[in-house]
Amino acid sequence: MNAGRYKDSLKNADRELDADAAASARPDLKDPNVVLSLLEADQVVAAKQQTRFGRRSLSFGVRLAMWSLRVYVIVMFVIVVISVLRALHGGG
Amino acid sequence: MAAPEKTSTSAYQAAQPTTELASRSAAGRQLIGLLTHEDLDRARDRWRVARARWTGRSWKSLGGLRVLWLLMGPGVLVFLGENDAPSMLSYSADGARYGIGFFVPFVILTFVMGFIVQEMTVRLGAVTHRGHAELIFDRFGKFWGMFSTFDLMLGNFLTLVAEFIGIRAGLSFFGIRPGIAVGGALVLVLAVITTGRYWTWERITMGLAIFNGLFIPAALLAHPDWPAVGHALATWTPLPLGDRPQTALLILSTVGATVTPWMLFFQQSAVVDKGMQPRDISAGRLDTLLGTVLAAVFGIAAILATVPLFHHGINAADFEYAQFAQALVPWIGHIGAALFALGMFEAGIVAAIAISTSSAYAFGEVFGTAHSLNRPLREAWPFYVILVGSACAAALLVLVPHAPLEFIALTVNVIAVLAMPPALFFLLLLVNDRELMGEHANTFWQNFAGVAVTILLVCAGLGFGIATVYPRILGG
Repeated sequence: MNAGRYKDSLKNADRELDADAAASARPDLKDPNVVLSLLEADQVVAAKQQTRFGRRSLSFGVRLAMWSLRVYVIVMFVIVVISVLRALHGGG
Repeated sequence: MAAPEKTSTSAYQAAQPTTELASRSAAGRQLIGLLTHEDLDRARDRWRVARARWTGRSWKSLGGLRVLWLLMGPGVLVFLGENDAPSMLSYSADGARYGIGFFVPFVILTFVMGFIVQEMTVRLGAVTHRGHAELIFDRFGKFWGMFSTFDLMLGNFLTLVAEFIGIRAGLSFFGIRPGIAVGGALVLVLAVITTGRYWTWERITMGLAIFNGLFIPAALLAHPDWPAVGHALATWTPLPLGDRPQTALLILSTVGATVTPWMLFFQQSAVVDKGMQPRDISAGRLDTLLGTVLAAVFGIAAILATVPLFHHGINAADFEYAQFAQALVPWIGHIGAALFALGMFEAGIVAAIAISTSSAYAFGEVFGTAHSLNRPLREAWPFYVILVGSACAAALLVLVPHAPLEFIALTVNVIAVLAMPPALFFLLLLVNDRELMGEHANTFWQNFAGVAVTILLVCAGLGFGIATVYPRILGG
C-alpha cells in the first residue's frame, strides 16, 4: 500500500470511529473491544510498558553541542550565584 | 512518509509510533486482559472527541468549537501556569521600573518564542504518546537523561518555592497569616488531584487559571496611556537604561517568565495523559495559541498596572510580591490593589499545581512507574507522593524562618532561562527524529524558528554573564 492510499484508509477509519461513537449514547467501556477501538495501538499503557524506543546514534557534532551546552549551563549557574550574592549584599 | 508496516506483535518490540487503532492490530488485541483504569478513562475521553467530531460535522464551525473545547487544556494551562508568581513579579518590576516602553513588545516577543517551542511538544506527545523525560532517556540514554531530569527537578523545586512565596505574599495583603495561606494552598493542590481523573483535574485547574485575568481590571484602574502603549509596540522605545547588570537580569527574568524547561515536560506529558492523537495536532496548536495570547495579554496587563509606580518615582527595585499591591493603593485604589494581590495568589496556586504535576510526570516517566492523573492513588502512589511531596516540601521551606527566600525569588526565572538551551536542543533533536515523528517532524521553517529561539536564549544568557562579570564593558 502506498503512503497516499494508507493515509486515505486512516481517514476512512477515523470517520468510521467517529460514526461508531456517535451511534452510542455512552460507550460500553466494560467491553475491551470498545476501549481498543478508541485508542491507538501504541497508546495502550501495557503496550508502552512492554517496549521502549531504542537509543539513537549521536554524531560527533551532536555530542559536542550537548557538552558545550552543559558547560554553558554550569558556567552560567556560577555567574548567577555571583550576581545574586552581590545583589543581596548591596554590591550591585 | 513511507506507509508503516501492518502492525503485528513484533511491531511493539520496535516501538514504532503508529496511527493504527489498537482494535485493528493483532498485538493490541493481545492486551485485552491488561487494560488499566488509565486506558478506560482515556478511551472515554477519546469517545467524546470522536462523537463531537461526528455530530459536529454538520454545524461546521460550531462543531469545531466543541471539538476544540474537548481538546484544549495543555496549551492554555502551560501558558497560564507559566504566568506564575515570579513571572508576574518580573512583569510588575518591568512596569514599575521602566514604565511603558521596551518591555511591552518584548513580552510579546517572548510569548512568540514560547509558542514556537511549545507547539513542538504537542506534536511530540500526540505522535509518540510518550512524555518528554521518557523520550530523552530512551533516545539519548541515562547519562543525558539524568542531566536533563536534574535540571528539571532543581528548577521545578525552586519555582515551586517561589510560587508559595507568591501565594503567601498575595494573601498577606488581606491580612491572612503565612501558615494559613500556605496550608490553604496545599489543601487546594490536594483537592484538585483527588479527582483521580485527568479531565476533571484539567477543567478545575483551567477554571482557576482564568483568574489570571484579574490583572486586566487592575491595569484598567491604572488608566493606561494607550497612545504610549501603541508607540511602544511600534518602536520598542523607550529603551531600558540605567544599571546595566540589573537591566540584564530583568530582561533575562522576563524571558524566563515565558520560556522554561518545565513547560516542555509538562505540556508533552499532559498531551499524552489527555490521550491526544496525531489527528488532534491542529486543535493542540489552537489550544497552545489561545494560551499564548491569553498569557501575553495578562502579562502586559501586569506591566500596565504597575506603571503608576514608575510615573510617581516610587523605587520598586527591592519590591517583593505583595509590596506592589500595597504601593499601588493610592493610584489604583484598594479594589485594584486587591485584584492585583489576588492575581498574585492565583498565579502562584495554578503554577504550584502545574509544576508539581510536571515533576510527578517526569519522575514516573524516568522510573517507569504509573504516571497519569487518570490512575487511582492505589495504582500510582509514587506519582502522587512526588506530586504532593514536592508541593509540601516547597510550602514548608517558605515557612522556615531565615530560609533564603529572597535568593530563590531572584534567581528562579534566571535559572530557568539558563537551563533552557540544552532542553531546547534535546527538543529539536527529538522533533526532527523521523523514526519517531514521521511526517510530523519539523519543517525547515519550524527548525529555523526553533534554532533562532535557542540562539537568542544563549545570547541573552551570555549578555547577562558579561553584564555581571564585566559591568563596565556595558557602561554599568
